[in-house]
Amino acid sequence: MSNQEPQIVGERRVLGIVPGRPPVGERKDPQQDDSVMVWPHLLVRHAVVSVAVLLLVLILAVLFDAPLRDIANPTVTPNPEKAPWYFIALQELLAQFHPMVAGVLVPGAIIIGLVALPYIDRNEATSPGRRKVAVATFTIFIVVWIALTIIGFAFRGPSWSWVWPWQEWYGVL
Amino acid sequence: MSIGQRIRRSTVGRSISRSPDVVTDRDRATKHWASFLLHIYPVKVRRQELNFRYSWFLGVTSMVLFGSLFVSGMYLMFFYVPSPATAYGDIQNLQTSVAFGQFIRNVHRWSAHLMVLAVAAHMSRMFYRGAYKPPREFNWVIGVVLLVLTMLMSFTGYLLPWDQLAYWAITVGASMAAFVPWMGAQVQATLIAGDQVGSATLIRFYVLHVAVLPGAMVILLMFHLWRWRKDAMLSQPQEGRA
Repeated sequence: MSNQEPQIVGERRVLGIVPGRPPVGERKDPQQDDSVMVWPHLLVRHAVVSVAVLLLVLILAVLFDAPLRDIANPTVTPNPEKAPWYFIALQELLAQFHPMVAGVLVPGAIIIGLVALPYIDRNEATSPGRRKVAVATFTIFIVVWIALTIIGFAFRGPSWSWVWPWQEWYGVL
Repeated sequence: MSIGQRIRRSTVGRSISRSPDVVTDRDRATKHWASFLLHIYPVKVRRQELNFRYSWFLGVTSMVLFGSLFVSGMYLMFFYVPSPATAYGDIQNLQTSVAFGQFIRNVHRWSAHLMVLAVAAHMSRMFYRGAYKPPREFNWVIGVVLLVLTMLMSFTGYLLPWDQLAYWAITVGASMAAFVPWMGAQVQATLIAGDQVGSATLIRFYVLHVAVLPGAMVILLMFHLWRWRKDAMLSQPQEGRA
């Protein structure tokens, strides 16, 4: 190739010809430049969100005091004894199923499932309509988990018996 | 010339911010790139990221709550000794005799509850948007670890007031660890440092709560945000829309 006379096309020297379609044509080009400067557009939104969140915390902190019961006493077991609310779904499961299922299989499957999710779900589509299985599975999990949390938090009384929260209240944050 | 401009263009002002005056977007990008405070942000993002529905701003909400917990937690540490003999009295003292003690404790507790909610909601929003798809899989994995860390932070902090609520919630929570096959008893004993919740548990949870877990969290957050910044332009247009 280097021995050939340089080819001149329109006053430009052609160095080589590559077969196939141009690589740029394969790329998904954004139809227009849809980028914006972070400063100020995103920063001002984040500032507003930050103030709103801190305001919410301030209002809650002024209105509701953090609970403080009697000093810890290993000999007096309260009834019901409840786990913190974010573990209460597991506690509810423990009341329903064999500990091996509720204490090991379910939490283990949740953690492993969440970590492995991007490697299991290799479907590249991002619109909900084209990833129905993933969306349905996750939605069912979330709904069941929230339901178990609410049941354990508000609908369980002494000895984990069923209570109506508007009659007796045993939930503590 | 306004006062602000005068300060900025003085010798001292120029030494603090060594970037050119902002006239064009290019100047602004230069200044952003050189700024320490803005270094966790990309210079540009996709326009869709400005919409509330894109992220519901749950990531930044979690960050703000983490900051609130960091600051209020520092204050609480001045007045708290992690020993069964003193812990409960310290909290009572905090609520009655320390300036803003009750208020700061309330802020810490509410921020903690809200942070667990916000991080879990952030994860759900990212799922529905499909933001874990290639090539951003690993940031999702880091996020899951951050969620677990958030819950562990909340769990370890729950014990510290050393009241009946704290004591029995931790007892119940830790008893779940006993169901781990083959080595459940050992896992539980390691977690609560003995066969029942006591002074060894308190110091263990305290060190985890104020040093180990926040340290791990900050390091992982740096990775998480670094990847977010690097990948800012990778989010697909129309991501997650029908």
